[in-house]
Parts: sequence; structure tokens; C-alpha cells
Amino acid sequence: MLLAGGEPKVTSAFFSTLMPLALALASGGQAQEKPDWMNRRTEDRLSYLRGPYNRSIDLIPEFARDMYATGVGHALAYEALVRGRKDRLESQVQPQIAAILRNPPRFLVDEAAISPRFSTRFSSLEKVFEWAHTLHFQTIDVLAYPGWDFQRKEEEIQRLWKFYSAQPFALTGLPMNMDRLDGFSWSGLFRSKYPKTNALFWGYHWLQTANYDMLYGTALASQREQYAVLGDRYRTEELTRTDRDFMPMTAEISPRFARRFPQIANAFDNLHMLHDNVNDILADDRLTESQKDQAVDAAIINVLASTHRNCEPVAADEVETVAPGIHDHRHPNSMPGMGWMKGSDGDEMFMTGMGWMDMSECAHCSVSFPDSPKLTATGFAGPYGATVSSNGWTMSVRCVLCARDMASESIGRVILRAATEDPSRILVLISDEEGTFRSNLPEAVFLDEPAEHPECESWSRAFTNRAAFERYLKANPGFQSAQPLVLADWANRYNGKPETYRKISRPNPYRPNPDRLNPSGTKSPSLEVRSR
Amino acid sequence: MIAAVRMMAFGAMVAYSSGALLHEADCPNCKLPLVQNNDNFDNEVVVRYGNKRIEYRSIYCVLKDQDRYKVDLTVYSPSEKIGEPVVLKRVQGKWTAPEKAVFTMGTSKMSLCAQQSRAFSSLEGLESVRLKLELGESKPLTLTEFIEAVKKHKFEPSGGTCCSQAVSPK
Ligand SMILES: [Cu+2]
Ligand SMILES: [Zn+2]
Ligand SMILES: [Zn+2]
Ligand SMILES: [Zn+2]
Repeated sequence: MLLAGGEPKVTSAFFSTLMPLALALASGGQAQEKPDWMNRRTEDRLSYLRGPYNRSIDLIPEFARDMYATGVGHALAYEALVRGRKDRLESQVQPQIAAILRNPPRFLVDEAAISPRFSTRFSSLEKVFEWAHTLHFQTIDVLAYPGWDFQRKEEEIQRLWKFYSAQPFALTGLPMNMDRLDGFSWSGLFRSKYPKTNALFWGYHWLQTANYDMLYGTALASQREQYAVLGDRYRTEELTRTDRDFMPMTAEISPRFARRFPQIANAFDNLHMLHDNVNDILADDRLTESQKDQAVDAAIINVLASTHRNCEPVAADEVETVAPGIHDHRHPNSMPGMGWMKGSDGDEMFMTGMGWMDMSECAHCSVSFPDSPKLTATGFAGPYGATVSSNGWTMSVRCVLCARDMASESIGRVILRAATEDPSRILVLISDEEGTFRSNLPEAVFLDEPAEHPECESWSRAFTNRAAFERYLKANPGFQSAQPLVLADWANRYNGKPETYRKISRPNPYRPNPDRLNPSGTKSPSLEVRSR
Repeated sequence: MIAAVRMMAFGAMVAYSSGALLHEADCPNCKLPLVQNNDNFDNEVVVRYGNKRIEYRSIYCVLKDQDRYKVDLTVYSPSEKIGEPVVLKRVQGKWTAPEKAVFTMGTSKMSLCAQQSRAFSSLEGLESVRLKLELGESKPLTLTEFIEAVKKHKFEPSGGTCCSQAVSPK
């Protein structure tokens, strides 16, 4: 196996003479070719794809303002980094940014105007960032646009991806080995030296990924209601939390969207990783200014679509020999929209706050998700029955019963998003602190006839209305005597802990030091479970 | 069908996993693993309100963490008998428990909260398991005394929470 597990750490004496080698190592043993456009310092500005949906983000005003503010936050921190204000980053710049985030702008802000020195010095990077941010905003605009139906939006998102990828500044939509991209000698410097400023970056990236499952398959009214919860979480927790082991990944926070549009999810993760790379490089005092320039260029090239034009994504279990360097494009078997993470194995990955998760299984009952074709045949909108979002995490579950029970076991407000018989309509249930749900589909009814979990997609279901429920019963005579449950009756049921649940007991790969108190990675005491 | 087969494949693993749900694997107060019921003792401490049921590692942890909840609470705290928890209620901030219920704070070491910081149906109930739970000289406390004792107990600053050694009843 060629699993490198990060690049060799390079000492400072090494740097002056061996920097080119280090950069070559950074890109997997051989220096990648620098595309022509990176040598041009021209404006090269690209325009939006035209559409009636542009600026629809403004229909969710709080969300729009928070998104606009992320641009300001990025730019202010970058400008401080290149103007030698590093030592004031945590004490002065961070509070300054935090103040702007508390009172965000009403318009999209031109980042280059806020960070003139950074944008001039790193003009290639600025183009890559700007182009990817355009993809962010346009996909959001499409999903927030009330004028089109679900199908039309799906098509437009595909069109946007094509439009985006056709440009030289495009990032690759392939899954990248995140452990390797975060394995350079400078990796992790920024988050350890400037934890509060790093929290801002990872907070923005949380917001920029969390919004996709919020918007997907739901109407404007529900998007606004969901943002009331998510925006609050973003401002009060995500922007300040310093306990994340790694940046938030799109598939982790918006699994439904990531599975539906894996290339876009990967491109966003690659974008966010590039942000981390740049932060780490600029934070590394061992590098000269020109070495920093070279390292940033190499970091860009690592994730450009053009660098990987001959590459293919591959499911973890189908790999015989892991490709070296940056060309490891493995993804978890059941999640094409995510690259390889530290310690990953097949479908298992470590998530901060949740511990080890198996992405092929229900997070509540551990039963494998049914294979996708079966799901389509039974009318699920997506590959999963439902997702549960709370306290910054999102988990995929097999059925609405698992979603409901998981919600009741979680402290605080929860957003539950469930597939219905109509692929274009996702049922969104938002619970208050006490677990009382509000629904975006007031006519919705539930089938709740608990049996064995491996068949739960048949006995635990949500329907947009009673007629759909009746149709389902006609087609599935086994449930003939079942009664449709309205939300209030369904919501206060509880089915107990599924006996199929299994916990993956492995230590946190990001914190191998066992001396440190480390909640998620702590090994459980060996306990015998009473047979139920 | 495929799902059913796969499930049987991991059936064997269930035996040595803790059985705790992953999302509730850690106590909201001390962040250490929750302790599941076993053949000798119930250990799952559950706080109920509205449609929520939040699990804690010990009744100590519930009381330490209670300020996060603004509503009335019902707490099911395992006793000396399997299937017969001591039910505590907090109504408008005031706690009540069954008249004969007693509590132990544990030995001087607070690292054993799941095992030693517990509720019992009565004094006799406590005495019947004193040895098994290694309660030592631990004094039986009334609810009021117990609440006071929890309030006074301070976390040690570096990782020394109530349950830092994650000991649990055998
Ligand atoms: Cu490649
Ligand atoms: Zn499940
Ligand atoms: Zn289920
Ligand atoms: Zn605890």
C-alpha cells in the first residue's frame, strides 16, 4: 500500500535549498505543471451565468447577510496576514471581524477591495476563490428561487456545474485525500497559532455547507424557518468553536446534497481545504516570502480541475493500489461526495462531536441503508429516509422513526428532513427545545407500524397527505389496518433504543495522545450489555 | 434482503459494543461515555421533558447540568433494583423525590459517579448493595442534602470531572 499518511516534515535548514523539492513532494512526488493563466496578472474576471434566479438568496435576508459577511471576514484576515499583522490576528483582527459578523452587510462585498495587497500578491488564488464563490452563490440562488420547480432546479444546478468546470480557474470535483492535503510541514499551524481566527474560517465553511440541505427540495417559507435555527447556531456556536478536529465537510453537514451532487460537494471541500492550506502557509514563519508564493501556487495547482483532468473517482473498496500524492481520489463507498479523511476505512469516518460513523448505515439503528435502486422504486426522494440536524451535526437515518427518536434524544432544537412519496417535496420538521415539531407540510401524515429495522423503509414513512397514505396501503396490503398518524400523535411516540445499534469504538485519529481528555475519542469501559 | 444479511454479519459485534447510541454516547455534563444497563444494575439515567429524553451518566451529572433546562423535568434515576428507577421531579425549580428515597454522593473520589453517585428506593435498598457498588462509608443523604452536596462539589480544573476515570458498576 502506498498510503503516505502525510508528507515528510521539513526542517527550516532544508527550506532554502530544497524548497522546490518540498513543493514537488507537496504535489505527489512530481511537480505539477503550472497552467498558463497563473502566469498572467490580468483581470480575467468571469461573469455569472445569467438566470432569473440570481440574487434569490436575498429572499432569505438573514442568510444572505451572513453569507455576505463571510467574504468580508475572509478578506480582512488575509489582508492582515500579508501585512505583517499576524501577531495582532487574535487580539485585534478577530474581534474586528466578529463585530462585522454581528452586524453583517446587506450586499455582496468585493473582497479584492478589502484586501488589496493580498489580492494583488495572490491574484491567481483570488481568481480561484472568486470563481468558486460564484458557484456557491449561484447554486444557492437556484435553490432559493421560488419561480422554478424541483426538476428545473436540478437541471440548472447541473448546468451551473458544467459552466463552472469549463473555466481554467475551476477546482476539481473529484474527491481528494484530505489527510494528505492537510499533511504538509505547515499544515495545522494556523489553527494552532490562531484558534479564534481559524474558528471564524471553519464557521464560514460550516455555513457555506450547512445551507445546501436546508435549501434542497424545500420551499422558501421552510428555508427561512430553517435558517432561523441554523443562523442562530452559526452565530452563537460555529463561529467561535475551537473543538473541531478538522474543517467541516460538505457531506458531513449536507449529506443529501452531497450525494445528489458529489462533484459540487467535493469542489467546495477542495475550496475549503485550499483556504486552510493558504492560511497554514502564511502562518509559517520558516518560509521566506517567495517560498510562500511558491507554496500557495502549488496548493492551488493541487486542487485545480486541470491538474486532474485524466483522473477518475473511485470507491474505497474498489481500489487495489492507492494512487500516490494528490491523485488519490478514493471516496467512502456510499458517499461519492467526500474525499478520504484521516483514519477512514471503507465507509467509516471520524466526525468531531459524534465519533466514528459508518456512512452506509443508519446513525440510529446501524442497519445498512437500502440500496439506492430499491429506494427509487419505493419513492424516496433521496438515498436516505431522513436526516437529523442538531448542535451543528447532521446525521442520516433510515426511516422517520429513527429520525424522530434520535431527535428526542438530542438536547435543543432539531431539524428533521424526511423523504416523502413525492421526490420533489421534503418534509421538514423543526423541533423546539422541548421536542415539539412544526411542519412545512401541514397535511402530512405518518405510517408508524414498528417491526424489524432492516425493513423500516416499509413500515415507517411520511406522506405529504392522507390520499398518498391510502395509496400506499392499497399497494402494500400488509399494512391494511394501519391508521394514518397526524404529526402531534406521531411525534410523542418513542420506540426505544434499537437493539441493532452498534458503536464503533476506535480512538479519535486526530488526537492520538491518550493523556488528553478527549470526549469523543475516549474508549468506553468494557461493559456487558444485558440481552434484551 | 441485502440489508438483512448485512445486519446478521455485524450481529456478532453487538456483543462487545456498549449498546449506547452514538449520538448520546457521551454524558452531556461530563462528556464521558454513558453507562448502559447490565445484568446487575440499571445505569441509564434519563431526563424527560416534552418529547425529549436525554441520557446522563449519573444523577450527579443531571443535577450539575440542570440549569440548561428551563422547563419542568422528570428524572428516572436507576436504583438498587433493575426496572424500578427512583423518579425525581423538578417542578418550577423545586425538586421532589419519593419519601423514602436516599442518595449517595460517593466516596471522596468523584471519579466514580456512575457507580457511586446514585439513588436508592430506601435506606434498606442502599444497604443491600453497599458492598457490590463499593460504596464504602458513603453516607445516605436525603434529596435536599444530596442537592446541596452536588452544588458544593467543584470540578477539578484539568479533566478531573466527576467521572474522569469512567468507572462503572460491574
Ligand atoms: Cu488526480
Ligand atoms: Zn435506523
Ligand atoms: Zn429505521
Ligand atoms: Zn457525567
